[in-house]
Amino acid sequence: MANDVFRPTRRSLLRGSAAVGAAALFSGLPARRLMAQDAPGKPAELIVRAWGGSWVDALKKGVSDPFTEATGIAIRHDLTEDNEIQPKVWAAVAQGRVPPIHINWDTTVNATKSALRGVTEDLSDLPNLANTTELAKPVGLDGYPIVNTYGYVYVLAYRPEAFPDGAPTSWHALLDPKFKGRIALYNDGIGFHFPAQVAGGGKLEDIPGNMQPAWDFIAKVKEQQPLLGEDPDFTNWFQNGEIDLACTISTNAREAKKNGVDLAWTVPEEGCKFDTDGLWIPKGLPENELYWAKEYINFALTQGAQQVWLDGLGLPGVVPGLTPPEDLVNDPSYPTTPEQIAELIRISTKVQVENESEWFAKFKEIMQG
Amino acid sequence: MPETPADFRYPLRWRLMDGIEALADRIWPRRLAPWTGWLLITPALLLVGLLVLGLIQIADSSLRTLDTATFLPSEDWSLANFEKALASRVYLTVAWRSLLGAALTTFLTLALAFPYAYALVRTRRPWVRKALLITLFLPFFIGQVVRAYGWLIILGNSGMVNEALSLVGVAPMRLLFNYPAVIFGMVQYMLPFAVLLMVPALAAIPAETETAAGSLGANWLRTTWHVVLPMAKPGLIGAGLVVATLSLTDFAVPAMLGGGSQDFIANAIYDQFFRTADQGLGSALALMLVAAGSVLVGLVFLVFGAGTLSMGGRR
Repeated sequence: MANDVFRPTRRSLLRGSAAVGAAALFSGLPARRLMAQDAPGKPAELIVRAWGGSWVDALKKGVSDPFTEATGIAIRHDLTEDNEIQPKVWAAVAQGRVPPIHINWDTTVNATKSALRGVTEDLSDLPNLANTTELAKPVGLDGYPIVNTYGYVYVLAYRPEAFPDGAPTSWHALLDPKFKGRIALYNDGIGFHFPAQVAGGGKLEDIPGNMQPAWDFIAKVKEQQPLLGEDPDFTNWFQNGEIDLACTISTNAREAKKNGVDLAWTVPEEGCKFDTDGLWIPKGLPENELYWAKEYINFALTQGAQQVWLDGLGLPGVVPGLTPPEDLVNDPSYPTTPEQIAELIRISTKVQVENESEWFAKFKEIMQG
Repeated sequence: MPETPADFRYPLRWRLMDGIEALADRIWPRRLAPWTGWLLITPALLLVGLLVLGLIQIADSSLRTLDTATFLPSEDWSLANFEKALASRVYLTVAWRSLLGAALTTFLTLALAFPYAYALVRTRRPWVRKALLITLFLPFFIGQVVRAYGWLIILGNSGMVNEALSLVGVAPMRLLFNYPAVIFGMVQYMLPFAVLLMVPALAAIPAETETAAGSLGANWLRTTWHVVLPMAKPGLIGAGLVVATLSLTDFAVPAMLGGGSQDFIANAIYDQFFRTADQGLGSALALMLVAAGSVLVGLVFLVFGAGTLSMGGRR
């Protein structure tokens, strides 16, 4: 009889696969941590600050939803920009208030500023840190006030239609007169300062002491009337045919491509900036909420969570054994070994933290002049 | 004297008013009547008081420099942030761009708002007045950011304007992400404010004055120049002040239509607060912006007098 046959609905299938996925993901977790009788009371929800669009979608799919599935704790994603949440968290900690978020998904440079200010909880006791690569450890800080969760590359994204002879091989392509008004950079120049130093004939070892070659090169780029924006702007500009070339994070370029924009990216001969993002917890949370916030980050470091989360972002994680997404195998913007990372430009977080304001100001001075 | 009937009752409205009066007397007894004026301005005083408190905090912050080793503000006060702001070419460029932008926006907005408001007041056809009001209010209900996005769609390289131009053989041209685009966006945003502020001033001018001017031989141009404009001065000054201060402090339009290279002061302040975490420098810039706005308003009062705004001053 047809009625005797179990016909799962689409919803039950989804529910079932989510449960299986969560079970698979949590198989790597010490059960005692999530099921322990002595675990503090669960909060109704945890608030995780995140970037929007494909970034939050990937986090939700890879970390937040399975975490909720396993613990029953709802995850609310706060899409306030990382730069905007920072002063709010700093003010809350300074005034002894409960901070507005439980977990901050942040750039390592920004997170390091918060760590230096003393507003971050120590995460050294997370069990899953034992399974991570050296990329997870913040450089130049005691313990783990932040846990780096993946690396990313500021690539040169381009419209293949504008490059019939193949991908641009140098950042000097930005200076080609035919691209005047059709190039884009981040509005503070982030990701571009270091390649500009090389493209301008300087040396990376001279950073931060002598960055004149970078400023000279950026001044030439300014003559090309670049558009200056944030992550979502790049996708819009490519989509609307406003630009042909941009220095942007590979994730944004990949997302635009997924959305049907004819787009490719490359790592030019001068190299591309490699950096990391991480997760951290602000001080001032109630004890039970701090415990579960740590559990969330600990879970984000499992192989299963990293695989799903970073497949969505197209970025290399901090846990060994991850499989690159099919479209990024052998892609230089997806380095998986220390040798491949070494081919990219990596400047110490300390140098960046101490000099970033000055670099941003200099970039603005050139671009606003 | 006629007797009051036993079943007489005062009207309900009277009794309600008596009740309200009794309640008011309990809350604010008659003996406090001399202070009633202060009571009425208490909300305004609270509002201004909070603003002043905020400004004091900002002033304190502006005197502290950022230590990039700890990302904490310095313990000591200094004028370093102000010196840095005044010595920096980029802030002078941005300040000049903001002031020029505010001036251009004010001039263009008033030039467009005056005939619009005049038509709104003088038209004898109700449907024209309604159409003008709807046209005025429709964009007013849409937020500034959404309107700016609208212009991104309309004026973009693949936008409606370029599409239309391509139909007559004109190649796509960059209409966005430059200074004129910012001024255009701001004028479009400010226009309803200016019209709304001008309408009461124009409505207060009796139409007979224009008729009288005409009967004495003045054409419409002379009537407008010698009669309407002088009498509409309170509206023009009030609208000009509002448009100038809003333009001077605008953030969204320069950020969205300027393509990142046409920052106004508000954008520079945002950068310091949220991008470089230098709240001291951001506060110094904010105070300088407040000072510039205040000087502008003070100059207008000095030149035209508070009475120009129909506020009962001598001039």
